[in-house]
Amino acid sequence: MSAFLAFALAVTAVNAVRPPAARATPAPRRGGILRLMLREDLPQGFAIHETATNSTVWPSLPCFNNLVTFQPLKPVERPDTIVGDLAERWAWTSDYRALTFTLRRHVRWHDGQPLTAKDVKYTFDMVREAPEASARLRINPRKDWYAAVEAIDVPDPYTVTFRLRRPQPSLLMMLASGYSPVYPAHIAPAEFRTRCVGTGPFRLKEWRKGEYVEYVRNPEYFVPGRPYLDGLRYVVIAERGTRFAALQAGQLDAAMPAEGTRTIVEQLKAAAPRMVVSEINVGVNDNLLLNTKRPPFNDVQVRRALSLAVDRRAYVRAVHQGGAVVGAALSPPPTGAWGLSAADLEGLPGYGRPADDKARARKLLADAGYGPGRPLRVEVATRAISLYVDFASFVINELRQVGIDGTLRQVETAQWHPLVTRREFEIAANLTGLGVDDPDANLYENYACGSPRNYGDYCDDQVMQLVEQQSREIDPKKRLAIVWQIQRKLEADAARPMMGWRLDYFAQWPYVRNLVPHHSAYNWSRMQDVWLDR
Amino acid sequence: MPSRGVGGAVARPASVAVTGAVPRLPAWSALGWFCRRKPLGAVGGALMLVVALGAVFAGSLAAYDPIETDAAHTLEPPGARHWLGSDHLGRDVYSRIVYGARVSLVVGLLSTVLGSVVGGLIGLLSGYFGGKADLLAQRVLDILQGLPLLVLALVMSATLGPSLPNVIVAISVPIVPRAARVIRASVLTIRESQYVEAARALGGGHGRLAFRHILPNTLGPFIVLATAQLGGAVLVEAALSFLGLGVPEPLPSWGRMLSVSAAEYAQKAPWLVLFPGIAISLLVFGSNLLGDALRDLLDPKLRGH
Amino acid sequence: MRRYVASRLGVAVLTLFGMSVVIFVLLRLAPGNIVDILFATGGYVNEAEKRLIMTELGLDRPIWAQYLRWIADVVSGDLGKSYRYDLPAWQLVKPLIPVTVELALISTAIAALLGIPTGVISAVRQDSALDHALRIFSLAGLSMPSFWLGMVIILALVAWIGWIPPVTYVSPAANLPLHLVQFLLPGLAVGYRSSALIMRLTRSALLEVLREDYIRTARAKGQSGPAVIWRHALANAILPVVTVVGIEFAFLIGGLVVTETVFNLPGVARFLVQAILWRDYPVVQNLVMFIAIVVILTNLGVDLLYAWLDPRIRYAK
Repeated sequence: MSAFLAFALAVTAVNAVRPPAARATPAPRRGGILRLMLREDLPQGFAIHETATNSTVWPSLPCFNNLVTFQPLKPVERPDTIVGDLAERWAWTSDYRALTFTLRRHVRWHDGQPLTAKDVKYTFDMVREAPEASARLRINPRKDWYAAVEAIDVPDPYTVTFRLRRPQPSLLMMLASGYSPVYPAHIAPAEFRTRCVGTGPFRLKEWRKGEYVEYVRNPEYFVPGRPYLDGLRYVVIAERGTRFAALQAGQLDAAMPAEGTRTIVEQLKAAAPRMVVSEINVGVNDNLLLNTKRPPFNDVQVRRALSLAVDRRAYVRAVHQGGAVVGAALSPPPTGAWGLSAADLEGLPGYGRPADDKARARKLLADAGYGPGRPLRVEVATRAISLYVDFASFVINELRQVGIDGTLRQVETAQWHPLVTRREFEIAANLTGLGVDDPDANLYENYACGSPRNYGDYCDDQVMQLVEQQSREIDPKKRLAIVWQIQRKLEADAARPMMGWRLDYFAQWPYVRNLVPHHSAYNWSRMQDVWLDR
Repeated sequence: MPSRGVGGAVARPASVAVTGAVPRLPAWSALGWFCRRKPLGAVGGALMLVVALGAVFAGSLAAYDPIETDAAHTLEPPGARHWLGSDHLGRDVYSRIVYGARVSLVVGLLSTVLGSVVGGLIGLLSGYFGGKADLLAQRVLDILQGLPLLVLALVMSATLGPSLPNVIVAISVPIVPRAARVIRASVLTIRESQYVEAARALGGGHGRLAFRHILPNTLGPFIVLATAQLGGAVLVEAALSFLGLGVPEPLPSWGRMLSVSAAEYAQKAPWLVLFPGIAISLLVFGSNLLGDALRDLLDPKLRGH
Repeated sequence: MRRYVASRLGVAVLTLFGMSVVIFVLLRLAPGNIVDILFATGGYVNEAEKRLIMTELGLDRPIWAQYLRWIADVVSGDLGKSYRYDLPAWQLVKPLIPVTVELALISTAIAALLGIPTGVISAVRQDSALDHALRIFSLAGLSMPSFWLGMVIILALVAWIGWIPPVTYVSPAANLPLHLVQFLLPGLAVGYRSSALIMRLTRSALLEVLREDYIRTARAKGQSGPAVIWRHALANAILPVVTVVGIEFAFLIGGLVVTETVFNLPGVARFLVQAILWRDYPVVQNLVMFIAIVVILTNLGVDLLYAWLDPRIRYAK
């Protein structure tokens, strides 16, 4: 058969199996104001580097840029979806001990000053609390992200090099997170608690405290033709029911991440069938803190018994009405890159058949000397918010079934971190949100020996070694294997039993285009490419 | 100036406690007489009795454990399985209302009693002894009363933290000055009456005079005040719970049932909003009716209010 | 008269001082302070860093020193800086006052419009079925939590006409009809409750007056029913009613706290709740004192009005 014919047949065959071309999406239109919701007023204004909450990041991201960011239109966040933001290009040295960025030129801050590499050095020296840093953050939650950075060099105004003490491939992921914007060197960081000066697609117009935040288009934005929108309006509505009622009535255009539980969104979709809902894994997990310094939780068997007692799948059903997935210390696949899949979890405490697991739990407790005559009494501390209380109540209920006598203790939000930092708890129902799906951003903070946020004080030399090893490992496959091994050990040791990873049901009206929810809460709200199709 | 009770009923101090308006009869007949004389008051009393019975016999009256969740039957409308429907966690609304009666009544009653007793004592002593102590007490009461009720309860609650005893104390604090005012005014008028003059002439000591002669005659206004405040206390507890500063989980509280979760699901499940609110309203309504009836009986000068 | 006013003002100042101490101490007794909350938003806490911020805010000084500092500031016109927003408290509160005042005025107006006529009717037709019905209707208003009433109103609107009121503040300049509707609904919720009190007081005041001798005299003289009521009775009954309306206005603040939250109105009461939760001492202290001053002045004003309208009271104290 002639080559031509073969080629023609091949093309035909390919066209036959390719799905019919999707209706072409229309070309973006300019104009309009996107109306969004906030669940509370910005706690510290636009000072992203001084907070760890989406109430700051979600409405502040449009003001800023990072060195690099995740592709806005792709829902998963991976090293291969990282694109340049303020950086045109970047390169690792072959030993992954230095990362050099080449910055774009002609980028201006909102007050007209030019962006140079000095701003980058200033920002990250400040965050990593370098001795030569020229400014200090009042509150600095992510200092440890940059612990491996030895120095930041600025050989010329558009080149920045991060020199590391040891290889750390994760550095790039962390710089892409919404938590790593670049601050201007000529403005004190405290100013960001009241106003925002960035390089981003939108300029702050007004922040009416307790009511709304308004942005206008930045006409000098460095991406030509962007943003499409004329402005943004974030409205503060404290009651969740009211927020969604406003969305339903068309007074708002889109929701906020980690707000849409399954039940609420079902109600929303029933009333407004045209609403577009995306199921996303926002990188927030529920976990149990066990104080390993307090007997009997220093006994790994007792901890294991506790973990066995709580049926994770029942947890997903009862507390989240199915709106969660089971997983270990890192976000589970397919949305997470490093987590253990459901198949991997079989055999770990809490994921087996509930009756068997609970029987094993009772036996372990009996071995430790607890039984019907001498029940184990525990106190489960939790924040005085209904979501956490539901979580803790479920756990207490499960523990009751293996003979553990649990009481609930509610702690006001302001008291929560001091309490867990002082380790004044036995068991605590906790929530952890991950800034970026990366082992370094997660494991050090929560499981490293001596980390102040390792609230359970779990310390295992082997795990520590593995964590260090994976942080330096350049081969992704090898690294993944180590991370899996770590997670299995953590669950087997019941270091911080994971309950589940919440699913968010992000709702938006169909005329909101190019607002693609990512499988994270913090990294996708720049609104640079969003446009309104009406 | 009329002093305002929390429940809103205008309570004026009785000029003289009335004897003779309430005939002395054995209990059952007194009850029957009351029902005929003040039917609305009887209705109020009956409402409160129903709530009280619900609170006491919650265990037997409730259909389910109020904190037990049921993921398979969330947000069910009222029906055979859940008489008043179920909430977003599958908890039975009817059972939570029955158990919630406990919280509302306990908080309402205890805070009213605590506030009224403490306030009453202050009023009694202040009115009886008069002079500098009275003036000082007046100023302190002014301070407590100058702050709007809910604001003061809010600050107290934030100060003390979320727990049942703390909520009771927080709600009782605003009641103290109002109770003191009423009792003090009553004491002032009784103090000058001939009856007490006679007792004093006979050589009664202060204690005896205060507690054996004056106090019983303030009982009328005291009861009226207490029933008037009870409704208000229940409403304040509901408001505090609604704002998240009231009785903490897992105790079911009618106020908290109306907050966050109810508002979120209100469109899909309006029964979550209607029933707890109706429960609160009925309890307060009953206490107001009863309070009105008692005031009519014990203080004829106010008859017709 | 002047002595009366002077002595009342003197007492008021003393009371305000006492209140300032009470609120100051209560706030600081509450567990947790702004620094704890700031760290909570940061997701961690570090004792050393915390101490630095406390020193920066002046929270590490002894309580009496802080109190004196506060009083000195207020007296010299400095109304404090919000810990949360790092802006002058007055600047934050100023735009909220008109909203709360408007809501209070609308609620009071609705309360008076609803309460006075029903009170009159109820008194005139004493013990009739209408009287009982109106009394039950007004008592129901006293029994319902006003925030619940607000929620039910919104639910009913959604169910019957498929419309929800705007969830964010609509200024009169932007859309006057919508603005009025937005305030009418919470006004109804709060006003219904206040109307009950006004109705009851109107009724009782009117009843008392109707029994007075001079009314009987007027009737005996042949003056017709309605004229008697309107000219003599109401004029005399208006006195306690006016005083209660005045008092109710001041006491509305409590009802407004939950109503502003339910209807999401940017008023002073909602801001105060947030400030309490955030332990924003300067804002809470100054706002509460402001409310107390309003209440005391209102009481004083009402007392003076009472004394002026009723000469029997003026010199009796």
